[in-house]
Amino acid sequence: MSASTVNVVRSPLKPRRMAGRRLANGLITTGAWIAAAIGIFVMGWILFTVVIHGIGAWNWAFFTKLPPQGQYSPGHGIANCIVGTILITFGAAIVGLPLGFFGAIYLSEFGRTGRVASAIRAITNIVLGVPSIIAGMFAYGLIVVPSHHYSGFAGSFALMFIMLPVMTRTAEDILNLVPNELRESALAMGVPRWRATLGVVVKAARSGLITGGILAVLRVAGETAPLLFTALSSPYWMTLRGPSSYFGGPTANLTMFIWNSANAPDPGLVRMAWGAALLIIVAVLGVNILTRLLFQRGKEW
Amino acid sequence: MVELMDTTEPGAPPPATRPVPPRLEVSTPGAGHEGAEFDALPSKLSVRDLDFFYGKEQALFGNDLEIKENRVTAIIGPSGCGKSTHLRCYNRIYELYRDQKAAGEIMLDGENILASGTDLLSLRRRVGMIFQKPSPFPMTVFDNIAYGLRMHFKLSRSELSERVQDALKRGALWEEVKNKLNEPGLALSGGQQQRLCIARAIAAEPELILMDEPCSAIDPVATGKIEELVQELKSSYTIALVTHNMQQAARVSDYTAFFFEGRIIEFGSTTQIFENPAERQTEEYITGRFG
Repeated sequence: MSASTVNVVRSPLKPRRMAGRRLANGLITTGAWIAAAIGIFVMGWILFTVVIHGIGAWNWAFFTKLPPQGQYSPGHGIANCIVGTILITFGAAIVGLPLGFFGAIYLSEFGRTGRVASAIRAITNIVLGVPSIIAGMFAYGLIVVPSHHYSGFAGSFALMFIMLPVMTRTAEDILNLVPNELRESALAMGVPRWRATLGVVVKAARSGLITGGILAVLRVAGETAPLLFTALSSPYWMTLRGPSSYFGGPTANLTMFIWNSANAPDPGLVRMAWGAALLIIVAVLGVNILTRLLFQRGKEW
Repeated sequence: MVELMDTTEPGAPPPATRPVPPRLEVSTPGAGHEGAEFDALPSKLSVRDLDFFYGKEQALFGNDLEIKENRVTAIIGPSGCGKSTHLRCYNRIYELYRDQKAAGEIMLDGENILASGTDLLSLRRRVGMIFQKPSPFPMTVFDNIAYGLRMHFKLSRSELSERVQDALKRGALWEEVKNKLNEPGLALSGGQQQRLCIARAIAAEPELILMDEPCSAIDPVATGKIEELVQELKSSYTIALVTHNMQQAARVSDYTAFFFEGRIIEFGSTTQIFENPAERQTEEYITGRFG
């Protein structure tokens, strides 16, 4: 705030040459554009290929009838696989999302930098990087072997195992975006910790949490490897009891249908596999876009 | 001696809203805070030998301070001097962070709030706090105010809305939001949000209000409104205000404590601190030679 101006004698600054900097700038910008273009092109190509090959399989029967037994014949569909995938994914979500949510609350609100929290965070990161087929083998050993049969439930368990760390990490990141001043303001009102957490912190983060949860579900909806040893596949409708039920035996699902049919020496089955792939992509993409549209303006804090 | 305009007896009912907020009469430079008037005023809160630690790092050293009832006490000092840290001990909000510890005594109406048996929920109901950044809860204007009321009191619907309206009026926000009660609190402007936070704090009927640089994130017009509000509120509440703005301290406070490097260098009537500081460091800070 001193009013007196001090004159300091400095040696004049030598400017850097601009040509080299312009070149570096140009190279990096162009490189980024090219990388982005390649990425988008490859993804667009995949989408295009799946649409071209898969759209022909789509008809009313495709969504309402059972798959053909053995050879392909027209008038069949993958309705049981659609039901199975929805059920297996739902089974995983109903346990995985709440567990991940409360785990994230522990990490961001209570454990924080403590030793337990750091350990949980480290384990979560490791599990995030585990190949999904390991989750399938884990469920195989834990559920399929003791029960002597494959089941949709075992598939849900394997998917839950993949979903849990995704949800935990996403939810923790989102809760960490809530400014500490909001936590302090709530506690400063004389509110118990749990009410401040659920009533103010989680509420402030709610749209982000919902988006994160939906994305965690979509992340596992297209998994095949974990179902290989667990849900397997089935040509039948699911029943409430017995060897065709969710708990009782192999359960039909979209990814295992693709896995089995795509390699079949039968062009009709291969086309159905493309159709199923298209269905997964369209569903995941659709829900994804819808979620983002609905909760885009979700940063209320 | 220092002339203080506000002579409202502690515990007296709040007077009707005054059209012109009272300003401090800056008159004859007084002696230190040992004056008879200072001693005659009851202390709402007495800090004795307060130390504070961030982990192993000590941030406050033997702070002694008296917060007088129905007065505004300003806490000033350069950045990082511990003024916010000091204030955050009064409602033990620092306990949200596990490595922060306070030692010493803070007597609120004669009871040591740093004692282990203190009920934090009722302490924080009695000691409200306003933060640097306006922090409305993610809910409607009405629910923001009703939040603390619902938490601490049993109220019927009509009582609740009466109380909410009353708090908004005392927070000088009612006229601006009476048609926006069901809109999100975050839709208000920054200055309105801060007054919403003040109204939210006073709705729960606190006895002491802590303000931690309440105007640093808002514009001068809104700052003026909040300063007027502070003047009005002191008839019913005791206020402790941390500010880095010395003009603000001079405008709104009755007493001022100057902090430097975790120690209270000087504490006295605002007039004395600003016109006749006893300590060299205080004088240098106030005249802008450092800080």
